[in-house]
Amino acid sequence: MLKVPYVTSYLTEHFGDDAFGTIEGYEAKGGYRAARRAITQMSPDEVVELVKESGLQGRGGAGFPTGMKWSFMPKETDGPKYLVCNADESEPGSFKDRILMERAPHLVIEGMLIAAWAIGASKSFIYVRGEYAYPAKQMMRAVQEAYDRGLLGRRLMHSDFNHDIVIQRGAGAYICGEETGLLESLEGKKGQPRKKPPFPAQFGAFGRPSTVNNVETFAHVPHIVSKGTDWFRSFGTEQSPGTTVFGVSGHVLRPGLFELPLGTPLQEIVFDHAGGPPEGRRVKGVIPGGMSMPILPAHQLDVPMANEFLRERKTMLGTGGVMVMDDTTCMVRVGELVSYFFRDESCGQCTQCREGTGWLHQILRRLERGAGAPDDLDILLDVAGSMEGQTICAFADAAAWPVQGLIRHFRSDFEEHIRQRKCPFPESFEL
Amino acid sequence: MPKITVDGKIIDVPKGRTVLQALDDLGLLMNGVDIPHYCWHPKLSIDGSCRLCQIEVDGSPKLQIACDTPVLEGMVLRTDTERVRKARQGVMELLLINHPLDCPICDQAGECKLQDYAFEYGVAESRTREPRRAKQKNVDLGPTIVFDQERCILCRRCTRFCNEISGTGELVVMNRGDESKIETFPGVPLDNPYSMNVADICPVGALTTKDFRFKIRVWFLEDVPGICTGCSNGCNIYLGVADNKVHRYVPRRNDAVNDTWICDAGRMSYRNIGAADRLKHVLVRGSLGVPEVASFDAAIEESAVRLSRLRESKGSGAIAAVASPHATNEDLFVLRRFLDALGVVRAGVAVVRGEADDLLVKADKAANAAGAEALGFGDAGSVVAGIRKGEIDGLIVLGHDVLDASSLGDVGLLGDLDTLIALDTHQSALQRVAHVMFPVRHLAEKFGTVVNAAGLVQRVRPAVEPAWEARTEGAILARIGHALGLAGFDGRFDPREESKRLGADYPAFAGIDWNSVGESGRSLARAESASEGISV
Repeated sequence: MLKVPYVTSYLTEHFGDDAFGTIEGYEAKGGYRAARRAITQMSPDEVVELVKESGLQGRGGAGFPTGMKWSFMPKETDGPKYLVCNADESEPGSFKDRILMERAPHLVIEGMLIAAWAIGASKSFIYVRGEYAYPAKQMMRAVQEAYDRGLLGRRLMHSDFNHDIVIQRGAGAYICGEETGLLESLEGKKGQPRKKPPFPAQFGAFGRPSTVNNVETFAHVPHIVSKGTDWFRSFGTEQSPGTTVFGVSGHVLRPGLFELPLGTPLQEIVFDHAGGPPEGRRVKGVIPGGMSMPILPAHQLDVPMANEFLRERKTMLGTGGVMVMDDTTCMVRVGELVSYFFRDESCGQCTQCREGTGWLHQILRRLERGAGAPDDLDILLDVAGSMEGQTICAFADAAAWPVQGLIRHFRSDFEEHIRQRKCPFPESFEL
Repeated sequence: MPKITVDGKIIDVPKGRTVLQALDDLGLLMNGVDIPHYCWHPKLSIDGSCRLCQIEVDGSPKLQIACDTPVLEGMVLRTDTERVRKARQGVMELLLINHPLDCPICDQAGECKLQDYAFEYGVAESRTREPRRAKQKNVDLGPTIVFDQERCILCRRCTRFCNEISGTGELVVMNRGDESKIETFPGVPLDNPYSMNVADICPVGALTTKDFRFKIRVWFLEDVPGICTGCSNGCNIYLGVADNKVHRYVPRRNDAVNDTWICDAGRMSYRNIGAADRLKHVLVRGSLGVPEVASFDAAIEESAVRLSRLRESKGSGAIAAVASPHATNEDLFVLRRFLDALGVVRAGVAVVRGEADDLLVKADKAANAAGAEALGFGDAGSVVAGIRKGEIDGLIVLGHDVLDASSLGDVGLLGDLDTLIALDTHQSALQRVAHVMFPVRHLAEKFGTVVNAAGLVQRVRPAVEPAWEARTEGAILARIGHALGLAGFDGRFDPREESKRLGADYPAFAGIDWNSVGESGRSLARAESASEGISV
């Protein structure tokens, strides 16, 4: 039996069962009944309304209400509409979509089928992160199984509905997880986000109305259809219903995946589920939702993991990738690492992002080497301020926020580097 | 028309446009409403990447880019608030952290948007302690353009130009993030008939033309509005003049003619003005049969004597004329009056034809072929036929286009003429056979109007003064006409006066004179020109 996730709920309860990844195993657990019900007994609008009422929020990072996103799709069009599954999980600290694709590919496909019915899409694309060779293989196998069963293709499930799924693998660029960057890459172009408006619901893949949702988002949908909104809302908080699959990494005894209701306190995830830091160490800071989200200091781990609470602490749930750092960690080094990542991954279109990510990284690298100056912190905050909220996509925010968070909560780490002219954390992780 | 409020002023703007487009349509952009921008260009697609044009839009929590924000009824915009200035400062600081700041040796200095906006929004002191990013200097992109990667701000105007205007797509952005750079693919240089426009639209000194590079500081140049003489499209240009010399042509925006572009061949045609083969002396064939330098007065006298003798001996029917499509309407109008007064009916215009394309380049390789036609000069074929048949003894020829293979081919037949009077800007084989040869002014050296292929009358003015004795065709013919005692000729020539008389005589030109044409031109009244204007 596979020991991931450690804590399961409706999404992941059968992950220990290898057969669940096959069509037989999946159908044995009631699989595809929800899709059959939606397509044969519900109108597309009823499905959209149901998902709206469920309060499901996108699990890809921004937390946008899924039903509302679907409702943006134009009803009458004289050409195809597309559905896109964003499986480009590239946020450092996130690995939930990977396990969903590996262990429950049919759950994802079923969710996509229901979504495709709801928005009237005749074709879907699954854009899989380039490094995810095995998940892509699993999805391909599962898609083929679904075709063989008449669950995909023409007149699927003996209905009038036709739907095809195409799997496209990325080439490893972080920015291709941004939905319009993904669309560009899907079309065979350089992965550079598009300016919005027009949003994908008007001008998406190949210029057609499109909806892009995260892998996990789709996985919730069959459960909502088969068990209803009241059931779904029995998990999580009023504003953030349902569970999510938290991926915990870093300085904990039991790193791994934990499916827990939204609103679970961060300290419960870090200490009770992931086992807390090794003996003799204390938690110094925790990044709650993937590397682009601002860090929280140890004394703020009481925060419930849902956006309405995290926003008050100037951070967000993101992808639910929880990264734990203990007291050996040099937060300047964290900043250097994070800013290097974003410098390397910026697509380079917008001035602030292209130049700002590089400058942030250079300053942080110099600070870490002990060559910082007192005004460097002001410059860092100024540059981050220039980047925030001023670019085509949210990448620049994602690059600016972690730096702002690190300085907000760990200013003394930075000041010590400048004062001692060296890194005061000899035991910190190596870059 | 939606009404929007910009900095407290209410203006009517065209529908369906973005803020920058609408302001540009109204001529207000950078001319009343200053919204700095790099990546946006009125004739290219919207990129939205430089982020310099951010403004406050009431109701939007974030700043919005003016280039891509559609105008909506009742919209309230603020372009000069503290928040906007701070955002622009942020962009400018970031653009400058890796800029080489080599203005002292940069050709763009003086017409550089990075300089201009840095001056306006930048901070005087650099806060970077980091070394500036080293990239490639002096990159040879193709036959016409040199690229400096360090100066480039990646606004991507050049790549969009190659994709959308020239349609050749040679330039691309390689790599990503702060490693991004403009490049060509290996073995595919930037080489298209419009390549040099990328240097014009480059807001900084990254793309420079091999032709103009290191030639002269731009602040020494006076930009004189003019018309390109390369073909009959009549592209609007500025002639960059210093020390009585034209150093370059750059396109002058005229949305009815050439948008903001000019072809490379036309751009390089500035070299014709100061070319070594300009005709610089009045020549009269002497007793030994070779051309000798003569005074202008002597040449007028010689011309008048020859023409009057020929008219008396053989009649006006033995005289013909070839008009030049490079002369102004005013010059050609004088020629027309001269021929009418002399009783010469056999006349036409010789136009050299060549390649045309879908963008700007027209087949007629002369600026005023349409003007000549509007003034009744048909094809010179009848004149050429007359020469071939030996029916013509005297010829007045303006320019040497008639020597083109499509007309006479060479001067062989002209050697037998009793009288050949030639007026020309440049040297040609005509010198070997002409009895009298007058150097004339280039379009860049005179006042007047020309008509482009679309029937738009546009004007020229002297940008430079020839260092030798050159006159306009009109002035020379006016003198010969006076010497011949022709009616209506008092020996004087004033292009503005001729322009007015032309309007009175030719309905197509009614109400059109040098002044009323303005800098953007006026269309010929086409309907009338067909019925009354042309009299051959």
